[in-house]
Amino acid sequence: MQGYIGKRIGMSILSLFMLVTVAFFLTRMMPGSPFQNGNVSEDILRSMEREYGLDKPVTEQYQTYLKNLLHGNLGVSFKKPEVTVTEVIARTWPITASLGGLAILTAAFFGTVFGIWQASSKRLIVKGGIFLGTMLGTGIPNFVVGLLLMLFFGVRLKLFPIAGLTSPQSYILPVISLAVYPSAVIARLVQNTFRVEMERDYVTMARAKGIGFRQTALTHILKNAWIPVLNYIGPAAAFLLTGSFVVESIFTIPGLGREFVNSIGNRDYTMILGLTVFMGITVIVINLFTDLLSAWLDPRIRRSLR
Amino acid sequence: MSVLCVQDLSVQFHDRHAKGETVRGVTFTVEPGEIVGIVGESGSGKSTAMQAILGLLPERAEIRCRKLILEQEDITPPCNTKSGRQEQKAYEKRMEKIRGKHISMVFQDPLTYLNPTVKIGRQITEVIRVHNRTCSRNKAKERALELLDMVGIRQPARRLTQYPFELSGGMRQRVAIAIALACQPKLLIADEPTTALDVTVQGQILQLLKRISKETGTSVLFVSHDLGVIASICSRVIVMQNGKIIEEGTTEEIFWEPRQKYTKELIDKASHLQEPSDKEEYREPLLSVEHASKQYLVKSRWNLKGDKSAVEDVSFHIYKGETFGLVGESGCGKTTLAGMITGMHQLTGGGIQFKGKPLVQMDRQIQMVFQDPYASLNPRMTIQETLEEPLLINTKLSLEERNQKIGELLEMVGLSLKDGGKYPRAFSGGQRQRIGIARALILEPELIVCDEPVSALDISTQEQILEILEQIQRERQISTLFISHDLSVVKRISHRMGVMYGGRMVEVGNTRSIYEDPWHPYTKTLLSAILTPDPRIARKRRGMWKVEELRGELASDTGCPFAPRCGYAMECCHTQRLETYSFEEREIACFLYSKEYTGRRSHDYKMSSQI
Repeated sequence: MQGYIGKRIGMSILSLFMLVTVAFFLTRMMPGSPFQNGNVSEDILRSMEREYGLDKPVTEQYQTYLKNLLHGNLGVSFKKPEVTVTEVIARTWPITASLGGLAILTAAFFGTVFGIWQASSKRLIVKGGIFLGTMLGTGIPNFVVGLLLMLFFGVRLKLFPIAGLTSPQSYILPVISLAVYPSAVIARLVQNTFRVEMERDYVTMARAKGIGFRQTALTHILKNAWIPVLNYIGPAAAFLLTGSFVVESIFTIPGLGREFVNSIGNRDYTMILGLTVFMGITVIVINLFTDLLSAWLDPRIRRSLR
Repeated sequence: MSVLCVQDLSVQFHDRHAKGETVRGVTFTVEPGEIVGIVGESGSGKSTAMQAILGLLPERAEIRCRKLILEQEDITPPCNTKSGRQEQKAYEKRMEKIRGKHISMVFQDPLTYLNPTVKIGRQITEVIRVHNRTCSRNKAKERALELLDMVGIRQPARRLTQYPFELSGGMRQRVAIAIALACQPKLLIADEPTTALDVTVQGQILQLLKRISKETGTSVLFVSHDLGVIASICSRVIVMQNGKIIEEGTTEEIFWEPRQKYTKELIDKASHLQEPSDKEEYREPLLSVEHASKQYLVKSRWNLKGDKSAVEDVSFHIYKGETFGLVGESGCGKTTLAGMITGMHQLTGGGIQFKGKPLVQMDRQIQMVFQDPYASLNPRMTIQETLEEPLLINTKLSLEERNQKIGELLEMVGLSLKDGGKYPRAFSGGQRQRIGIARALILEPELIVCDEPVSALDISTQEQILEILEQIQRERQISTLFISHDLSVVKRISHRMGVMYGGRMVEVGNTRSIYEDPWHPYTKTLLSAILTPDPRIARKRRGMWKVEELRGELASDTGCPFAPRCGYAMECCHTQRLETYSFEEREIACFLYSKEYTGRRSHDYKMSSQI
């Protein structure tokens, strides 16, 4: 097991390096300069570029960047020289992560509950209702959900605040709008795998042992039914934890996603790169985590890793 | 006072594929402490009836039963078309208390019936605790250890923390039996509990069930299609056909004086399989395997380390037109050897000669018939397409010639040309295996390799398939390598046979002479584990079964693989390199036949069995 984790971390470092390289050269290939602006003269532009080392050959810039990266220095923002990239991440990521984390937990919980309910219920109205709900959940984009929630709960009923993240209540609407899509997908996955697992022989065996349905579902079926779901949860969590630009914009939340999209618009090289590297690390860590989680759930996977 | 009393039990499936009732008016009783056998082909409704008693059938099954009494308790299922949801729920609640506590069940394949992701210990303690809410975790664990000990599992404490896939087939079935016995049920229903196991393991499980029934006074309802198994364990037999009980009586009555024609046929077929085939000799080697070995690399944590032999130093010949039977327990390397001959596996040592030339890659003259007729046909291809594919790749025949050939072959295996347009799901297991044979024959091979071709089939279907194989052989002079773990089938079909153990070929010879006089201790063990469908012979059996199940504890690399299990093992068996000794047509790999052991031999010395 340790050997496996070591190997995975090694692979992660390698892919992170690839990511940095590709991202670095891609940003440098973007047309224009970060300092280009209608009222900046040619001379000043030149001197600013010299100041930031942008006049040197790209390979040399790349070397400098890698060296700084190894020291944990992601550089200062080109647009706002008073803040470093690390500071921006430290300010915005806790907000995004708390939103995304809550959303993925909500999605996992409700998705599983509704999935099992749909798979095991005998009532047509329950089955049909959940099916319709999951169809809508996967079909409607999250910003539409966000806007509708805002309109109904925020503006009409005035139950929840509609902008900013000032109180615990203000988390509710953005978390729901982020969680709707993944919960619908998880519900459909769980429904499917659960139904397949219910047909398995070991469920008959559990019944023959005199174990009630509830206990069979919890101790026997759920574990097996969840293994395929993890394959979806990993990428979904990575996506949510690195921030959703649209939802953050609608609810005016100062999160990572919004920062990232703005930095691209501004050609803020160091910011783009810094955020990319950070998101890369997040994605890699989450994937490692989900792989370990599935090994924990399924002893056969654990054995094949040995 | 009978343990179970079933009156007029009928089951009907409301399903698209339903063919009327599957169980029709079944009535029988089970007395305390007796073992009742239920015999019938698949589709005769025996398993359905058992599941109906426990209320395990899915909802689309309509169950009607006049009376179902377990000791004093009435467990008659409600008739689900008339009864409401409430009644159904109440029945389910009542049955939850009965199942596992008063009636428990052992199923056919312990691998699929044990949850792969839950530890053995949990699967045993769970049933104890669900029926005895006051039982603490530790008490349940103690009981589980006791149970594992009772079913003959060594190191029970370690097994509790293992998962089902870490145990061998026999051990898994022992665990399933332990689970079934956990709450000391009055009745144990065993549904084909030994069908998925090797013969030697089958013997052990049967003995275990018999012993337990005797010691604890549990009644056993034993469902099987195998008459040998029934004869050796049951005191009373119920014969089922098309969902009805057609005959019932003591084992002796059923086997010696069957009243019904169907019972007679079943017994005749089973005894017929016991007859060795007597066939003329062929002396032109078509395929020679010479010192063939196959090693797999074993991955360890840090690097590729060591190798594991699947097949080691195996030599034998298959003559033109003969059927060579290959037997051995699962994991002994039979299938790997088949893969080497068909060219799917590369050899790591030795060589194979086919028609005098070394075999380097796949040869279209060698075709294969697979074990599972359900999995080996592509469900998205019609039979026509399946059969046509090899012709399109390998030959330049025109459409008409291809069709003619396909029609010819389908007819040969007992199907008709109009079946060609259907998909595999339209056929039964036996018919699919016919298609598998037709596919193997379509390129007119000289050798077909049949890897357990009948082990997934019923006894009467088995017979038909074996007849087809024999007929093809007569007509076309095709050689066959017939792999099976079922000794009766090999005895029935092969001219010569080889016995494999632990990757080695331990004995090769004429089928008849091996069956009459086995030389190798392992062959002897195997043959003594065959269950004869005759209660007198089957019950006299003792000894030999005691062979320990030793998987995981590997024999030393150099010595004889069978040495750790062998009662005749000498010191040299563990340390010296095993050699093969030839005596006329018999070849044997055992030190009992070495010069050192038997002494100097004159030129015309006749060797005989040393054990």
